[in-house]
Amino acid sequence: MQPCGTFYETYGQDTAVIRTRLQWIILCVSLAALLTTPLYGGYYMVSLINKIAITIVAVLGLQLVMGYCGQISFGQVAFMAVGAYTSAILTLDLGCPFWVALPLSGLTAGVIGIIGGAPSLRIKGFYLALATIAVHFIITWLVMHLQITGTTNGLHPPYPSIGDFVFDTDEKMFYIIVPVMLLMTYFAKNITRSRVGRAFVAIRDNDLAAKVMGVDLFYYKLLAFFIACFYAGIAGSLSAHYYTAVNVEQFPLTEAVYFVGMLIVGGLGSITGVFFGVIFIRLLDEMVIFAARPLADLFPLLGLAPAASLSVSAFGLIIMLFLIFMPRGLAHRWETFKASYRLYPFAY
Amino acid sequence: MDFFLNLSISGLLNGGLYALVALSIVLVYKATEVVSLAQGQLLAFGALFFWAAYMGFGLPAWLSLLIAIALGGVLGFAVERLCMRPLIGQPLFSSFLMTFALFMFLDGIFQLVLSGQAKGYTSFLPTGTMEMAQVKISVGDLVSFAICLVVFGAMILIFRYTKVGLGMRATAESHELAQSVGIRVRRIFSLVWIISAALCVVAGVTLARVMDIHYPLPWIATKGLVVALVGGLDSIPGALLGGLILGLVENVAAGYIDPLVGGGVKEVAGYVLLLLILLIKPYGISGQVRIERI
Repeated sequence: MQPCGTFYETYGQDTAVIRTRLQWIILCVSLAALLTTPLYGGYYMVSLINKIAITIVAVLGLQLVMGYCGQISFGQVAFMAVGAYTSAILTLDLGCPFWVALPLSGLTAGVIGIIGGAPSLRIKGFYLALATIAVHFIITWLVMHLQITGTTNGLHPPYPSIGDFVFDTDEKMFYIIVPVMLLMTYFAKNITRSRVGRAFVAIRDNDLAAKVMGVDLFYYKLLAFFIACFYAGIAGSLSAHYYTAVNVEQFPLTEAVYFVGMLIVGGLGSITGVFFGVIFIRLLDEMVIFAARPLADLFPLLGLAPAASLSVSAFGLIIMLFLIFMPRGLAHRWETFKASYRLYPFAY
Repeated sequence: MDFFLNLSISGLLNGGLYALVALSIVLVYKATEVVSLAQGQLLAFGALFFWAAYMGFGLPAWLSLLIAIALGGVLGFAVERLCMRPLIGQPLFSSFLMTFALFMFLDGIFQLVLSGQAKGYTSFLPTGTMEMAQVKISVGDLVSFAICLVVFGAMILIFRYTKVGLGMRATAESHELAQSVGIRVRRIFSLVWIISAALCVVAGVTLARVMDIHYPLPWIATKGLVVALVGGLDSIPGALLGGLILGLVENVAAGYIDPLVGGGVKEVAGYVLLLLILLIKPYGISGQVRIERI
């Protein structure tokens, strides 16, 4: 909502994401602040941002298929695994450079995602959710039993490099991961503003009605899964080369549940919500790890073991509270806050 | 042939337990239209309660089972009251995610209680095997299967012949209509969750007899969900049928394919089956087909 006296005179102005000069300034300053983090932030901060950025890429894809297209998917982590293994195999066995392997692993995950998303044409809701869980288990089982993926030992892809320059530290990887994340965010935001995005929303709101209005369900549902899994593949490839290790244990089903939880916290159907959700949950995790040590001192009987279980419990509790008290997520709060501050001192 | 028979018999006996978990999911779904994953934790906590009473306090098995069922019922009631009821009127999807969140929340507590050690208990059912026409059957499995059948029969009788059961069936049909003829829908919801939790406790205690109380125990719920979907989410006979089919397919597939690929077939066979069934019959084997209107 705009304050009175603000007019947009052209279509371009009306649909722009960044509308005013102040917003441009804020964007440029915050981008500059983000991209120079390695200069002033410590090692811990940089590696945390790397982790968060990789998760954001994967959750952006999930937001498109679940928040915009309404197809519940718990398979995102499995497709991350597909991307990670594709990237590792391409660089190790075929000697592909990382820069070629990155988009290729996204494409592979996307194509396999179309197969995984095929049940969405026949079933929806809980049935689809369970079908994607089934896909998750089948993919992880295949990964564990195929020779090419190194079974349970996993693979060790190399660091990316340009010529002799090797991206072998967190600070260097930062300059690959964060630009990729920004690029993917840009794409995601623009997909939602296009014809495709509007078709997704129509399918989410009522797929029969969308079909009657001429939205090709077959095409758009599979497209949604393709895009989501493409994002997952990119995220998987990034994580593979960031940790230089791919193991099936990095991709458990609980991680997929976490992704869905991040969407709830952030808010379904909002690209900004992805950022809120991922950062909120990841910071919560970090805080729990910090809190675990004093807790262990308080209750020496339990030892340090509670850290993992506490973070799981805290996550579950947060999701429960959000579902009951703030079902539209942080993004909605952010929107109402923005609206109220724009219109201040009037109510509307 | 003997090999096949052995595999299928033990698979079927196992399937009875899956069916029990599925039954508790189906009950909740029928009355409240919520598919619940939290059942897995109710099951695990039921086993823990039993363990505490049986091994911790040294009570006799039947008394421990009763205590575990009572505590499980309280847990089920709390779940309905604190978590599911505030979500009435919101999209069903939120309730589904709520059960997921609940699963994670309880999972953390469950792990904290276990703190890295598996808890097992000495079996309270007769042990040993008996042989019938060259087929070896473990007596304990047979008894637990019989327990499942009895529970199933009891549930069907309750549903068909008691007033409460009639109320549940009416609620399953339509919440508004049930309320308008004077059925207390909210009380039915609580009751359904309590019964479902009690079923979970029975399933958990019999399951933990063979597989110990350990981290993977709650994840049996995903198998229960597979069974419920294969049989049809709103069908009680479907749950039994689905359980038996899953147990059979899992065991036979594992027996024949495991040596070829080196193990682990048992975990995925069910999911492959689920995908196939969902593609052929989207509402499960005996589930009611719903026709949607705009």
